[in-house]
Amino acid sequence: MANTGVWDKLQTVDRRILYLLLIVFATVSLFFKVTVPTKPGEPVKDFYRSVMDIPEGKTVILQSDFTQSTRGESSGQMEALLRILMRKNVKFALLSVADPQAPLVALNVIRAINQERKAKGERTYVAWEDFVNLGYFPNAEGTANSMASNLTTAMAGRRENAPGKGPTDVFQSPVLQGIRAVQDVPAYINVTGSKTSNILIERLGKKVPFLAMVTGVMGPETLNYYASGQVKGVVIGLNGVAEIETLMDKGLKAENGHPAVAGFEGQINLGRGTGYYLALHACLTLMILAIVIGNVAMVVTRRKK
Amino acid sequence: MIPFLAQVEAPEYNMWNAKPGTPQLWMAIAIAMVVGFAIMVAMLYAPTRMRKPIASAAIFLAGLFWVLVFLFPQPIDTQVKVEQRPPGFVQGISFWLADAIPVVGTFANILTAFILGLGVFSLVRIHLLRVTKKQRDWPFSVVLLVSIVAMAFFGYADWYSRLGPNAQKIEESWPLTAYGKDLLFDGMLQVMEAAMFSLIAFFILSAAYRAFRIRSVEATILLAAAMIAMLSLMGAVVVGWDGWIEQVTNKDPFLTNFTLSSVSGFIRDNLQTPGIRAIDFGIGLGALAMGLRLWLSLERAGAN
Repeated sequence: MANTGVWDKLQTVDRRILYLLLIVFATVSLFFKVTVPTKPGEPVKDFYRSVMDIPEGKTVILQSDFTQSTRGESSGQMEALLRILMRKNVKFALLSVADPQAPLVALNVIRAINQERKAKGERTYVAWEDFVNLGYFPNAEGTANSMASNLTTAMAGRRENAPGKGPTDVFQSPVLQGIRAVQDVPAYINVTGSKTSNILIERLGKKVPFLAMVTGVMGPETLNYYASGQVKGVVIGLNGVAEIETLMDKGLKAENGHPAVAGFEGQINLGRGTGYYLALHACLTLMILAIVIGNVAMVVTRRKK
Repeated sequence: MIPFLAQVEAPEYNMWNAKPGTPQLWMAIAIAMVVGFAIMVAMLYAPTRMRKPIASAAIFLAGLFWVLVFLFPQPIDTQVKVEQRPPGFVQGISFWLADAIPVVGTFANILTAFILGLGVFSLVRIHLLRVTKKQRDWPFSVVLLVSIVAMAFFGYADWYSRLGPNAQKIEESWPLTAYGKDLLFDGMLQVMEAAMFSLIAFFILSAAYRAFRIRSVEATILLAAAMIAMLSLMGAVVVGWDGWIEQVTNKDPFLTNFTLSSVSGFIRDNLQTPGIRAIDFGIGLGALAMGLRLWLSLERAGAN
């Protein structure tokens, strides 16, 4: 029998060695501040075009359904989205249906972006004036149906702190002035780590332009709705964050009948997505190497036997 | 019933709503709790043979509402005032259904919130028992109970402190309750949750290394598709490969189909998406069949 010792071992590398390699690849790459190039795909380009098309001063509904379990992807998506909305002075009504923690997580991201703007001497977003927190709704299907039928009744009783007044009906806020139905908003944006986007699309997709920022796991399923035109644009996973940050930095050239869309020159555009992108490359490289080595070892061992 | 559910305008004073903080609201909450408790007790003491028909009737009525919402003609504009609505039986039912959706949606939210409460109650009961009986690993139960109480206390205290008119000042003064909530929620829970989820990466790497082997034609096709999908997630590879193809082929219309973004796009649009769509259709049909069985109380496992 031929000597297949090394190749046999390469077929059955101990999982602890793989774990150690992953830790090294992921952490070491985070220390390098390298801007890895990317080529934005059509779903992200359409998302960027749609968000940049929202008129200044208008209000969008922002449904944030992620918690820290998907922070690597969703936080970067939320940060990029908030940077665009705040730079365009677009107001937003925030709500969550997926997890009781989700509104607090979203408020933390808003606070972080506000601190970033404050450090640059820009206007910060103020609750009640620029955004309202509608809170958590435990039943996703019931809430989406209610919003599709009558937004004011669906959100009845929700209050936000008005300056000097205390908790006040959200419909009295500048954010929701003149908004009575979901059709009154120019876009409904969902940042999610689960299938809440599907629940919304099925119930609200015909009534309002819908945009989604989803995790890599939920991406393929959401692309069905993008292909059918029910979702106007999709940002998928960490790759999507890096892509939208690139678009924010460099803008979008005119193509396929779409006009050019400007970027935000001289501002902080490259954030979490670009920061983690090298780590994503390193981890995927490790995975591809591990698969290739395992297969080569298997083929060599078979031939020798 | 129709006027009660007709809430075209934002409701202020009616049977289903009241101004926050008013005695009317507290009275309504108290009455609702008493009535709910009475129904629960009545169900407990109802003869066993009566329970199933009662539950089946409630399930049927709840399901019937959504079936009617889906099948019945819908009003074009639900924002039209009550007095301006077109007369007629069909229109009347149609507007009644549209008006009732948010009310039913609120009921659904309340019921789901009760499920959350039920989960907390169950968790506390099980772990209290474990602590009092000193069962195996009871110190972990103590940690869990202390965590629940601490998180609830600081969470509610922080929330309550932000209710007043001076809520904006909390951002500047940052009192003890805010520190406590930050430490527990941002400093511990969120970080631990992120750490737990990131463990999946280790399992994925280990599983991919062991499972992706070219042992058959099907496995080889799967591996090739997975490799292309993984490479297409690496911007540097996509930019490099696509740039090289375009340079070498001088942007030949046919040969540019072999750029990584084109190949991965082809797989995504023509293989992956239709495949998932087919699976979703299957799941939808299964859910419809299961929904019908539950609605008509034909599902014996759930009924008994």
